[in-house]
Amino acid sequence: MVETNDIELSAAEAEQYDRQIRLWGLESQKRLRAAKVLIIGIAGLGAEIAKNVILSGVKSVCLLDNEKLKEVDRYSQFLAPPDKIGENRAEVSLTRAKALNPMVDITAETKSVDNLPDSFFTEFDIVCATGLKQEQLERINNACRDSNKKFLCGDVWGMFGYMFADLVDHEYSEEIVQHKAQKRGPDDTEKTAVETFSITVKRRAIYVPLQNALSVDWMKPEMRSRLRRGDPSYFVMKILMRFKDEYNRDPDAAKRKEDTAILLRMRDELVKELSLPAGFIVDALLQDVFGTMAGAAAVIGGVIGQEVVKAVSQREPPHNNMFFFNPVKCVGFVELYGQ
Amino acid sequence: MMLNKMPARAAGVFDEKMTEAIANSRVLVVGAGGIGCEILKNLVLTGFPSIHIIDLDTIDVSNLNRQFLFHKEHVGYSKSQVARISALSFNPDVEILAFHDSIISTDYGVSYFKQFKVVLNALDNRVARNHVNRMCLAANVPLIETGTAGYAGQVELIQKGLTQCYECQPKAPQKTFPGCTIRNTPSEPIHCIVWAKHLFNQLFGEEDPDQDVSPDTADPEAAGEAGASALSSEGTTSGNVERKSTRAWAAETNYDPEKLFTKLFGDDIRYLLSMENLWKKRKPPTPLEWNNLPGKDSPPEQHTGLPDQRVWSIYECAQVFSTSCTSLQKDLRGRTEGDHLVWDKDEKHAMDFVTACANIRAHIFNIPVKSRFEIKSMAGNIIPAIATANAIVAGLAVLRAQAILRGDINSCTSVYLRPKVNHRGQLFVPEKTLTPPNPKCYVCAPKPEVAVACNLKQLTLKDLNAAFKDGLNMQAPDATIEGKGIVVLSSEPGETDHNNDKTLNEIGLSDGSALLVDDFLQNYEVRVRLQQEDEEKMWRIVPDADKPMPAPRPANGANGSEPKPGPSTSRDHDSDSDLEIIDEDDDEPAVKPPKRRRTEMNSDEVVELC
Repeated sequence: MVETNDIELSAAEAEQYDRQIRLWGLESQKRLRAAKVLIIGIAGLGAEIAKNVILSGVKSVCLLDNEKLKEVDRYSQFLAPPDKIGENRAEVSLTRAKALNPMVDITAETKSVDNLPDSFFTEFDIVCATGLKQEQLERINNACRDSNKKFLCGDVWGMFGYMFADLVDHEYSEEIVQHKAQKRGPDDTEKTAVETFSITVKRRAIYVPLQNALSVDWMKPEMRSRLRRGDPSYFVMKILMRFKDEYNRDPDAAKRKEDTAILLRMRDELVKELSLPAGFIVDALLQDVFGTMAGAAAVIGGVIGQEVVKAVSQREPPHNNMFFFNPVKCVGFVELYGQ
Repeated sequence: MMLNKMPARAAGVFDEKMTEAIANSRVLVVGAGGIGCEILKNLVLTGFPSIHIIDLDTIDVSNLNRQFLFHKEHVGYSKSQVARISALSFNPDVEILAFHDSIISTDYGVSYFKQFKVVLNALDNRVARNHVNRMCLAANVPLIETGTAGYAGQVELIQKGLTQCYECQPKAPQKTFPGCTIRNTPSEPIHCIVWAKHLFNQLFGEEDPDQDVSPDTADPEAAGEAGASALSSEGTTSGNVERKSTRAWAAETNYDPEKLFTKLFGDDIRYLLSMENLWKKRKPPTPLEWNNLPGKDSPPEQHTGLPDQRVWSIYECAQVFSTSCTSLQKDLRGRTEGDHLVWDKDEKHAMDFVTACANIRAHIFNIPVKSRFEIKSMAGNIIPAIATANAIVAGLAVLRAQAILRGDINSCTSVYLRPKVNHRGQLFVPEKTLTPPNPKCYVCAPKPEVAVACNLKQLTLKDLNAAFKDGLNMQAPDATIEGKGIVVLSSEPGETDHNNDKTLNEIGLSDGSALLVDDFLQNYEVRVRLQQEDEEKMWRIVPDADKPMPAPRPANGANGSEPKPGPSTSRDHDSDSDLEIIDEDDDEPAVKPPKRRRTEMNSDEVVELC
């Protein structure tokens, strides 16, 4: 839980954050200002999340990445100058990240998550992990969970992307708009006018860890019935995660043809394994999964950035617990898995 | 146009078709605000080789929470130019041309628009949106129209002949208030804020007769003995001040704050009280005395929160009224003869003045008083704006642009970003099909036609010119009488001035006559049928004979005061735009366009008429 502090916003902060304070209120802005955020994986999606979180006015952001800037990152990683290929992605992103908002304290960490103890992650109020393998994600998620710290993760492959959230036991307030018919003065042409006002209610959401969401038993009747109205995005994510586990990398644009064949084969295996309907996971969903498209990174990074703001400010219902962007239909939706 | 450089660099990220389509494209981004910055970033990273970006605005501190191509040191500089430099640092291999200019200009004609494969709108006002809509229709270029307001947003394709255009559906008129509500019987804070802004213009700004702030004696509710008794009592003793312009009166007193206060918040209120009919069913207002104001002897309340969020006492309001009046007058005096101030929510004294006056008036009429922070939102029409919603909408817009270039335009249905997920858990809701053009649209139909209802015996040609500009969103209309070829209205300065004050009857137009109205700049021609309506006090646009459009109603026409040609709406918007928020589309059959709630909103990106 982010501690609230009672120090008033400075005039400079009030001026810079004016347009968002008018949306989420002063209290949310104060909570944001107290929040320490860790972003893991500073490729295209990590850069988008970092931008949104830094602009919102949190206390600090740590950019963690042990990888080097690659040519393919130039399609989406705008925090790294394009002439820094071969250098550490977190370090080369520092200058531009700081320029986005000098009021936020920004640091870089270049170790691999595997070489960092659990206590490193739980120093932060919220962790956003991108570009990791399933077991790495689960380990960090569980470490956060044990310390009651919030965890988000996500990835973008080409135009496709997902997000997962584990906010553990999350309390938040929600503004509900209500309408009331009101009688006006006799000069009013409309006899009655509708007055809108909002009330604030306190709510609570219980989350499950990532391993639960990723180990759904699709043979259960309630899950089978989801397939009928469902979107195949969950399975697209599973295929891409399996690819990463098996080949220790993401699909490679330079091997577009070979990797597409592998992905389609993995799709067929999954369809068989789970007895999914034929044609459920269309080829088109697995053909544009190379690199990171700037537009898709902006979309998923926008959603994750907003979830960080909601989680930290404890205002408005956060997504529980997975979000998918299906680029073929251009639909973005939230579904609960593993509960 | 195959460029030597291939900004879409690493082979295999896109398929070959897409790589080539992007490499051969040139695109235009209209607006370099919240959405525009994000769109520009996505375009250069994706490798669009040739981009034009245009915006007439400069950078403000309140932009920095989302317009991430700008930093503190850029405040005051041109948005388009700073955006260009920042975006080039992401990818120096692309070509970006930046224009610090209004898109509404002869410099950007149809042939200019024709060079683009796609145009992306990132605007915040309807005037510019209408204009770009017409230019893209005329040039036959696909337009991606975007908007956000708070957490919500939308992306919509406009392609001539394939989809509806920006003007196919009538837009809800801007919210306006009857003149008598503003001048005589305010009942909500917004009424007092509108009055305070009118007062600012009367005293320091451009004088507009529609923005009178003195008691309205022609209020039909006050008819009868009330007016007479008022005239014989307060009206005469206070020098019948309402007959004189507020500005002239203020100048005579040398803008003495105490005298101004006494007139506006004492004498005028007593005058209103004498219009007894107004107060039979309402709580009457209480005039104030300069020397006996509430809150004078009590210290300011303990306050937590932003300084602007503290509500001032009436005594404090009067102090602020006094200081802001003095400063504004000094500013006005320092200008050349005939020049005037323009109200701006970000000018300290202008905002202070409106806050103080609105609250003093609210107190008089037993209306809740508000903080400067809240009044700024209402007076400045501020729509909250955040980085994330802009990022999502801009991301979707560029993915749509890619699909168009790839030849998949038929898949580019409108997408709505909802503030909260719908009952199916959807946060981005795409429409199932493209919405076809409205065959009766007076803009994009093959032979556009529209009717103007008016009283031909009263409406002058000058008024008709205003109808073409304000009602049909034209920039420079020329009109000839159909069948006769007589030019009655010319966009050439002075050419048809002799017709200005003639009524439509006098120049030979009658019920059923038609005019061919042409806008050279927009490459747009419409046939306008005239409909005689004796009761019409000004004019009304009737786009479809079967289904008359809800026309903006006048502020004055309703209360029997002097009829004014044209919708005499209080223009209390800095800018406007609109956002369609889809309600719940999922239960609608696919063929039926989904129900929409059109809301008046202004988002971020300002490209306005210069």
